[in-house]
Parts: sequence; C-alpha cells; structure tokens
Amino acid sequence: MSTLALKGTYWVTVRQYRRTLWLAAAAVAVSLAVIGGLRIWDAQTPDRYYEDGQRYAADDNRGYEALRLALEYGGMWLLLLPLLVGAFVAGPLVAREFESGTYKLSLTQSVSPTDWLRAKLLTATATALLVTLALTGVFRIGWSRVSGSYNLDWSDRGPYEATGTVIFAYVLAAIAVGALVGQLIRRTLVAMAATGLVMGVVLLILGAFRWSFLTVKTVTGPAGPTLWAPENALMTDAGLLTTSGVRFDQSICWDEVNRTPGLDGMNDGGMKIFERCLAQHDVTSQYVDYHPQSHFWPTQLIESGILLALAALAAFAAFRVLRARHP
Amino acid sequence: MTRDGIALKADLLGKKYGGRGQGWALRECDFALPTGRVCALVGPNGAGKSTLLALAAGLLRPTEGTIEAPDREHLAYVAQDKPLHPRLTVADTLRMGRELNPGRWNDATARRVIADTLDPEAVVRTLSGGQRTRVALALALGKRPELLLLDEPMADLDPLARHQLMGLLMADAAEHGTTVVMSSHILTELEGACDHLLLLHGGRIRLDGPVDELLAAHTLLTGPVADLAPHTVVESRTTGRQLTALIRREGPVEGPWETRDPSLEDLLLAHLRTTEGAPA
Repeated sequence: MSTLALKGTYWVTVRQYRRTLWLAAAAVAVSLAVIGGLRIWDAQTPDRYYEDGQRYAADDNRGYEALRLALEYGGMWLLLLPLLVGAFVAGPLVAREFESGTYKLSLTQSVSPTDWLRAKLLTATATALLVTLALTGVFRIGWSRVSGSYNLDWSDRGPYEATGTVIFAYVLAAIAVGALVGQLIRRTLVAMAATGLVMGVVLLILGAFRWSFLTVKTVTGPAGPTLWAPENALMTDAGLLTTSGVRFDQSICWDEVNRTPGLDGMNDGGMKIFERCLAQHDVTSQYVDYHPQSHFWPTQLIESGILLALAALAAFAAFRVLRARHP
Repeated sequence: MTRDGIALKADLLGKKYGGRGQGWALRECDFALPTGRVCALVGPNGAGKSTLLALAAGLLRPTEGTIEAPDREHLAYVAQDKPLHPRLTVADTLRMGRELNPGRWNDATARRVIADTLDPEAVVRTLSGGQRTRVALALALGKRPELLLLDEPMADLDPLARHQLMGLLMADAAEHGTTVVMSSHILTELEGACDHLLLLHGGRIRLDGPVDELLAAHTLLTGPVADLAPHTVVESRTTGRQLTALIRREGPVEGPWETRDPSLEDLLLAHLRTTEGAPA
C-alpha cells in the first residue's frame, strides 16, 4: 500500500493501525454498495406523473421506501461518525499508549513528543476527513433522489449535517477533544467513553441551538385561513397577533374555554367561546416564523466556526499537556 | 547535555508522585556517573530504581533537583515491562527503530541481538517474555545510544539466553564506549559485568562508586567478638563467640581477626540487609 512512501512516525502510525484503516475503507465500500444497490432497485419501478408534470415515486416502489429508510438511518450513523472518530483517537490512538506503557518506547526514540503526537493526529485527521468525504458522497448519491421527503428535508437532523460542512468540523473537533481526553484519562475504555460523551453533548447542544444563530423571518396574515411559510422553509414558530402586533398567548383563551361549565355538552367543543375570547383580546391576525433555505449555508458556517474554535482550543490544550508532562 | 566525561549526573534529584498517601519515590539523590561505565543500580523493591531510570530517560519530570542526561536521540531505555507495540511483527518493530532514529540506526547490531532466534514475521503479541526482551534490547542497541538505561533487563530470560545477551551487551558497550545503567535483582549477573555501583534504598543513595574502590574500602572479617572502632560496621553477626562483620575500613585493620576482601555479592547483601530495617 501507500505505506511504502511514508516515513518515520507516520509510517509507524499507519503500520500500527493498518487494521483500522482497512476497516474504514470497508465501511465506505459497504455503504456505497448499499446505497448504490438501493438506487438501482428504486430505478426498476418507473415514477408516476401528476397532471402538472411533477413526478412522484410510485406507491408500490419498495426500493424507494427502502432507500428512504436507509438514508434516515444513514444520516443518524453519519452523526455517530464524530463520536466514533473521537473515541478511536482518545482510546486506541492515545490512551492505550499510556495504559500499556508503549509511550515509554515511543518517547525515548529520536523523535520529540510533539512530533509523535502530531504524526498520530495528522494521520487520524487525514484518514477521518477522507472517510467523511466518501461517506457524505455516498449519502448524497441517495439523498439526491429522496431529498425534501419526510424526515429528509435540508434542515432535518442527518441531511443537515451530511450535506454541509459541519460534519467535517465535528470530526475535527472530535479528534482534538480525543487527543486531550486520551492524555488526561490514560485508560483506553474510559477515555473512549468520555470522548464519546463529550462529543454527544456537543452534538445535542449545537443541534438544539443551531436554529437560533440567525434571526428568523416572519410572515403575517389575517387570522382564520391557514398561513403558509414559503416553500422549503423550516417553520420554527406560529401563532396569533393582536391589532397592535403583539404576539398573543393562546393558552389564555383555552384556559377560559376549559373553565366554562358544561363544556362537554357543547357540540363545537367550545370553539365559540374561544373565538369570542380572541375577539375580546383584539386578536385579528396570525404569524409564522421560519428559516428560509438560504439560511442553510450561513448556519452551517457559524456552526462549523464554533466547532473549529473548539477543535483549536482542545488541540492546543492537548499539546500543552503533552509538553508539560514530557520534557 | 552532560559535561565532558560525565554521562549521567543528578543534583539533589527528587521525585514525588501525585496522589494522596504517595511519598517521595526518590529524594536528594546526588551522583555523577563517568562516561563508559557499566553501572549496576541495586536496591530492594520500591527503592526508586525504576523512577531513577525513567527520570534519566526523560519520561518523568523531577519534582525537585535536576538530572543531566543525553537527549533522547542519544539514549536508549528499556523499561521493566519491555513495552512493544503488540500488533507489529518483529521485522516491523525493527523497521520502526530505523524510522524513528534516522541516521543513527544500525540494523546489523539489532539483528545480532535477535540472533536468528525469532521469526521476523512473528507478531510481537505472540512472543514469550524472553523473546520480547530480545526485541526490546535489539531496539535499544540498534539505536547506537551513548547512554543505555536498562530496567531489570534479564529478569525474563533463561540462564543461557541471559549469558549470551549479557556477553553481547558488554562487548557492544565496550566496543562503542557506551555508558550502561542497569538495574537488577540478580546479583550474580552484575558480578564481573559492572564496574560501577549505585545502591538505592528508600529513595536515597546508600552507596555510590567504582566497584573496585568500594570493594577495596571494605573488609570482611571473622574472629572474636570485640569493639570494631574506629571502623564503620556495615553488618555484623555473632554466632557464639564468633563474630562475622563487614566493615568500611578507617585505617588498617589490627586485631585478632581473620580478614579477606569481600565479593560484590557480599558487599551488596550486607548493605541490603542492614538498610532493610533502617528508616528511609
């Protein structure tokens, strides 16, 4: 393999983790085979056409359904990739050297501790980024067919990460965090678990706040008919407005309905009371908050920026810890 | 770097491990080991031998004091547990030595240590303790170090392999003027091989010097029980009216005693026995 061209610590790292590299390559090949196979299966059943010329997958196209399912799960697996990469760096790559004592061998050769850790991390980074690139490519092969369908919109968890830059930023952050945690917790399994936990928490936190990075756009309309956000938008909130434009808390009126005696006997479920309540509170219009699809890239870049800052911080700390302990 | 003629020098060196209840592993160690010596590092378990070697190898930072040793390019260290990457083959492990020590690596030396006793394609994980020792020593010698630090190097070897490797080690050290510091429990393996002695106990140095000088300064005597002043008694035993004592001489020994020069083993055992109960 390419190990022939590698030198020094890079050769040692690649040689040591050959099996992991093969495993990563195999994972990419398998995912490509699965998604490619499902697309071929899906293509066996021709699409139906609406009268306006729009196409849709036939109801009996089980290949299409399988592809959709594979991508829903595939997106989730892709989210686990940073956790896996981080756990690998923290455990087998770093902590195991300290746990098994092989660091005594590695750090008494003619290479400095910094060179040693840098070779490990750069090898892991190059490999992880390539694998991520390959897997997101495979994801896109499937996604280009089913994008926009239920659970597979641009803003949904899975497709959002897999079709932008954030997945790469997550992987980089995971490597840096793993390098730090692996040195602080010099136990392979504990370090793996801790890094997985940290990256899981980061994923959850950023997932919860990413749609707060940019201010939402709002459309308003008269109360009554359904108000739609523009096509492909991610709706974040909807509600009622008073004449003065203040957002009105509907629960006030639902509470009033619920307090009315004899509610069970009303055949409209208390709608009349509710509407009278709204009129009393001067509610005349409604609003929808949404993120247009144009917010995709700015949100991606802000999230990636946060992750890269985290990565830089963790990597800096990792090398500081190494130098503090090993002169 | 070390000064001319001194391969390893410690100045009030101390190491305290973190964590509650952990005391000093090493305290106020002062010594200077001349270049080209083969030094035996002796002491009971927990005396601080491994700590001293790890400090010399630059793997630990001293808590206090300093230790001057060659930089990592010019020293080799074989830890007590002979750490090796378990999934690499023997050939890969030697290749690693070459990759990580560009310009210094000597393949012929490394192969001489392996000495056709190992299959190069054997995976390190499958090797026995003695075979691992061989690979670890091959890595250390192949690097052509100026200072060779060996922590219990021969413990896992059978007598034949021990004899062969010790001979190889000594010949190589003599040929290249390598300074060797070797900790060991096996006193017979040190006799004849070492020309310098460092005796550690309770983290402090109890004896330090060239073996011949240390031997010459001590006398083993047997005879009637009597006051041995002005000599310093290292160890004495009485059986009936018979006294056996190892003394550090202050002037010539005069009296009704039978005297003889102690062997290195006599000297070490006497010191190890007496320091056993002594406060650290």
